[in-house]
Amino acid sequence: MKPENYVIRLCLLLMFLFMASVSPSGAGENAENGKPLKTALTGKFPPFSFYDNKGELAGFDVDMSREIAKRIGRKSEIIATEWDGILAGLLAGKYDAIVGSMAITPERQQQVNFTAPYYYSGAQLFVHRDNPKRLYSIDDCAKARIAVVLGETYQHFLETNYPEVEVVTLKSGAEIFEMLSQKRIDGFVTDKLVGSWQIQKAGRDFVAVGDLLYKESIAIPVRKDNPELLEAINDALAGIESDGTLKKIHDKYFSLSSGRKTGNSGELSNSIIAEKLLAGFGITLIIAVASIALGFILSIPCGVILTYPKAMASLPYMVVRTIVDFLRGTPVLIQLLFVWMGMGLTPFKAAILTLGINSMAYMSEVIRAGLMSVDPGQALAAQALGLTKLQRFRHVIWPQAFRIAIPPLMNSVVALIKDTALVAVISIPEVIREAQSIISITFEPGKYYMVVAVMFFVVTFPLMKMAGLLEKRIKQKGFAHD
Amino acid sequence: MIKVETLNFSYTDGTQALFDINCEFPSEHIFAVMGDSGSGKTTLLNCIARFLMPQTGKITIDDQDTSGMAEIDLRNKVGVVFQRLHLFPHLNILQNMMLAPTLVQNRPVKELRKEASEMLERLGIPELAESYPSQVSGGQAQRAAIARGLMLKPSYMLLDEPTSALDARTSEEFALWLKELREDTSFIAVTHDLLFARAAARHGMYMEQGKIASQGVIEDVTAAHC
Repeated sequence: MKPENYVIRLCLLLMFLFMASVSPSGAGENAENGKPLKTALTGKFPPFSFYDNKGELAGFDVDMSREIAKRIGRKSEIIATEWDGILAGLLAGKYDAIVGSMAITPERQQQVNFTAPYYYSGAQLFVHRDNPKRLYSIDDCAKARIAVVLGETYQHFLETNYPEVEVVTLKSGAEIFEMLSQKRIDGFVTDKLVGSWQIQKAGRDFVAVGDLLYKESIAIPVRKDNPELLEAINDALAGIESDGTLKKIHDKYFSLSSGRKTGNSGELSNSIIAEKLLAGFGITLIIAVASIALGFILSIPCGVILTYPKAMASLPYMVVRTIVDFLRGTPVLIQLLFVWMGMGLTPFKAAILTLGINSMAYMSEVIRAGLMSVDPGQALAAQALGLTKLQRFRHVIWPQAFRIAIPPLMNSVVALIKDTALVAVISIPEVIREAQSIISITFEPGKYYMVVAVMFFVVTFPLMKMAGLLEKRIKQKGFAHD
Repeated sequence: MIKVETLNFSYTDGTQALFDINCEFPSEHIFAVMGDSGSGKTTLLNCIARFLMPQTGKITIDDQDTSGMAEIDLRNKVGVVFQRLHLFPHLNILQNMMLAPTLVQNRPVKELRKEASEMLERLGIPELAESYPSQVSGGQAQRAAIARGLMLKPSYMLLDEPTSALDARTSEEFALWLKELREDTSFIAVTHDLLFARAAARHGMYMEQGKIASQGVIEDVTAAHC
């Protein structure tokens, strides 16, 4: 079962030969001595950085950070942050360097200085060990079905450089693994190191074939105004490389013998998994509750405006009607992506705004229907008793319309809770994204997707039951004239 | 006294419902406005309650022209009980009675609760206080709707077909009950039920095709149409 002979062949190269003799301690003796060396990474990129079964940061980059700090004579402080803003954080001085598997690119070089690379990786083709189509490099892959993870740069790379390859885009590494195990695809392209590690982790019979499609140099960015630190880190790296420490750290995470047994490379304990899923579900519920509140509050005036079709020619009616129809007639996913990327909101704000506005559209219709089903005689009777228009609405029409609307509103609420699943795509760490990240380590999609489904059901089921009961009661009470 | 002078009313589709109506409703206990359906009696009621605006003519209540009255003054002066009552289904009978005085007259809830309970006692339906409209019978609902209207102490109360949902026996009971009421409110009952009119009112008028056919002592008016 195990890909025994396919121990990952890392492209770790000796880069600092000419520096090897320089003592790292010399650079440490500067003004910043004593202050901790703050380095950033994501904590979400196993085996380079991840949370181990005690919930503590571990991984290749973590060990590298500590080793570098040690060699320049400072304490190590590691900050886990989102990849999105990781460079901005460096520029803002939140930390001194990023030891987070960042590839050198010309765009990044304009903003920061990079140290010498501490490892190399790049795009690698992997195939099933049985290799029925005898694919030994990407050049053999004409007409072959080669998978990539949707949105990763490999897709564009393949389509541009190997147009004869049939590129299959899939949602995640776990999905790709399932497809290749069933031989529904012929191979896949991903980062060499990460891919190798995942294969080993999942215990699949997949092998890397051919050369790297392209190479990436992974290095440590430092602010341009900090040349002393750049030099110090370069010195430290040279030492780490030359005395064999780099190889030791590498083997700890990538060698077959240690990988699956030690549990160091990202095994997750059940308590960590439960904690992650519950935290994710908490975020799911926060987004759901905030969106429902926003949607409901907005839907009341919109619902009222929609009850005046007579005002066909009036502006408010036409505006609300158009917005509601548009929102109901377009996919929520597109709305979400538009608000997130098109309007440039943070993922969290974009999620609440989109889901809130979207549920406003559905709830407005429910409230309109509720208001319309209140007997017009009720308003007349209230008028005969001297109530003002506002009082009639507030004390007579609305309480009845709301009771009528509760069951369908509950349905909207249930629909919205389920719609929160979509926000995983805009990188909010809600429950589905957490599940995906767990699955990327454990390779047990069936188990964890089922757990997530059950979590949703535990919340939605009582709501659905309650909607049914209320509907019954409202019918008995004789609200709504028919 | 409510006084109606040369009142003409046409609906927007052009149908004229009232033709030069001239009449007076004395401040007496119960006055009956009778007639078949389509005779214009409910239209007249709606004009007095200002739910419809007549094209010509004038209506005065105790010498005040209704067209110039503030909404709240009009409602405090003239109550209406609709044919279908329109009790508020989400409130119990006591709450139905207290809603308008709380909001319109800003009176304290505690005082109102006492007053409403006393009124239900006086009207002989104290057991309805906590009931919801969907839980009471047609006769009880009719009384509850009148109780709700009386809470504002109007000088006049317009009743639109009060017996339409009641059977003959309950309708007679209701007539006697109404007659026995000791409130300072004059009732004007619009009805096609001559038995009820005779049982309840002393004076009345009879309408036909948007005009007043006869008016006077109830026995005389009804005799002509029985």
